[in-house]
Amino acid sequence: MATDPMDAAKEAIRLWTGVACPNAAAARAMEDFPALIREFEAVRGTIVFEDEPSTFEAALRAEKEPGT
Amino acid sequence: MTDLTDLSTTEAHDAFRKGEATAEALVRASLARIDAHDGKVNSVIRLDREAALEAAAAQDKARAAGILAGPLAGVPMMHKDMYYRAGKVSTCGSSIRGDFRPTRTATPLLRLDAAGAIDMGTLNMAEFAQNPTGHNRHFGDCHNPWNLPYCTGGSSSGSGAGVAARFFAAALGSDTGGSIRLPASICGVTGIKGTQTRVSRAGVMPLSFSMDNVGPLARTARDCARIMRVISGHDPADATSAPEPVPDYEAALTGDLRGLSVAVPQEWFFEGADEVVVKGFEASLEVLKARGAKVARVSCPSLRAIGTYVAVVSRVEAATIHAQWMREKAGDYAKHLSGRLYGGYAIPGTWYVEALSARGPLLRQFCREALADHHVVATPSLRMRVPTLAETDIDADPANWARHMAISANTRPFNYLGLPTVSLPCGFDDRGLPMGLQISARPFGEGRALMVADAYQRDTGWHTRAPVLA
Repeated sequence: MATDPMDAAKEAIRLWTGVACPNAAAARAMEDFPALIREFEAVRGTIVFEDEPSTFEAALRAEKEPGT
Repeated sequence: MTDLTDLSTTEAHDAFRKGEATAEALVRASLARIDAHDGKVNSVIRLDREAALEAAAAQDKARAAGILAGPLAGVPMMHKDMYYRAGKVSTCGSSIRGDFRPTRTATPLLRLDAAGAIDMGTLNMAEFAQNPTGHNRHFGDCHNPWNLPYCTGGSSSGSGAGVAARFFAAALGSDTGGSIRLPASICGVTGIKGTQTRVSRAGVMPLSFSMDNVGPLARTARDCARIMRVISGHDPADATSAPEPVPDYEAALTGDLRGLSVAVPQEWFFEGADEVVVKGFEASLEVLKARGAKVARVSCPSLRAIGTYVAVVSRVEAATIHAQWMREKAGDYAKHLSGRLYGGYAIPGTWYVEALSARGPLLRQFCREALADHHVVATPSLRMRVPTLAETDIDADPANWARHMAISANTRPFNYLGLPTVSLPCGFDDRGLPMGLQISARPFGEGRALMVADAYQRDTGWHTRAPVLA
């Protein structure tokens, strides 16, 4: 099992989807993930257990321009 | 008579309707300009020369017979090569779909046809609509007509470059993270993405079902208003299209901004922004104020979460759609695209669901923060000056990744929020490349955003400038 987190992610991708890392650009894209993980850590707790499903379309209508 | 290629969409239609120009003359003028200059710009993938002339002849015959013309009759248009036309190849900017012949025609094209627009063919684009720069390994990079080594913006690169170059009056683009507004801004034309669900996507290549939008790029806000009214509205072929009635957007273009309040978010949109961009944006606010608008600086803490979640949704959806080709023929994609798609497979399913679950609540929060006391939101379309193609070429150097991805920082949030958003020209940077002003309104407030853009264009001439093509 890979110990480097990005190598582990590549192994997981291959295992779960059958897609191999195609090139250096893909490897570079993966380098953004530590920052993305930190961003997700920062918003933890803002999503809590919900009893009702959230619908984006309902929010669009609730917030729509008056008269439309 | 002026050069017919100088006419905007509404002007070209008016000239046709009044008998000042035939549809054939309008199409021939466009074809001649494409023949003369597209070798340098590379905006066209397929030119349907004979079909366009036949359609023009039919328009002229109908007018001579006194048949009432549609609101876009006589107007030469071309479209991003991802709008399906039954029986014609739609490459989607790729080699993978190099011989793909759909069996149906996209609803937006059918609606434009019914309005009398003349479809002259298909336009260059980012491969599968997935880069913000205009690079294309299969059909060649599209070049900015204001300065050829510079980006056009993407993914609707040919749409932005071709309208700017006066090759045709207007074009359809698509916008999942800024792909209409970026080429509009970078090429100095006007473009709008509507409210999510406002325009049918039936027969349009998907990239991200949650955030894809259809919309026009044209010279003016009035042109966009005309085209948006034609293409918007519920479509039985697209169950996700909104049933809300489509207003007469042009009727809202009064030029009167008295009583209008413009919100300028203090977070996100100015982080690391180039000084010339900020100056141009501030100058554009003065134009709105001179017409009676008030401007307020507002705090929008929701933008941090919005910026986080928007990075997830389209990547996962695009990676899912492309999974089989990524397994079987990843080498057929440009490196920057397979690289971008690859990252999508690393994102946990729980993150994707979290991003979608937060979308409605964050839209409500953003509206409370920015639009409870204000009518529209204004931001720069890009934070940076227009980069060159070389500076953003990931295939040549993966180190260009960060600059490449940063181009769409200011457009992406409005895809996640689903808000109608216009980009319009607001000046030129210190290297002579266009800059854009972005105006967003509440859901289904396309008319409001276009009204502000039109008012701005009544007092400025940026949108009337044309690049010199030697």
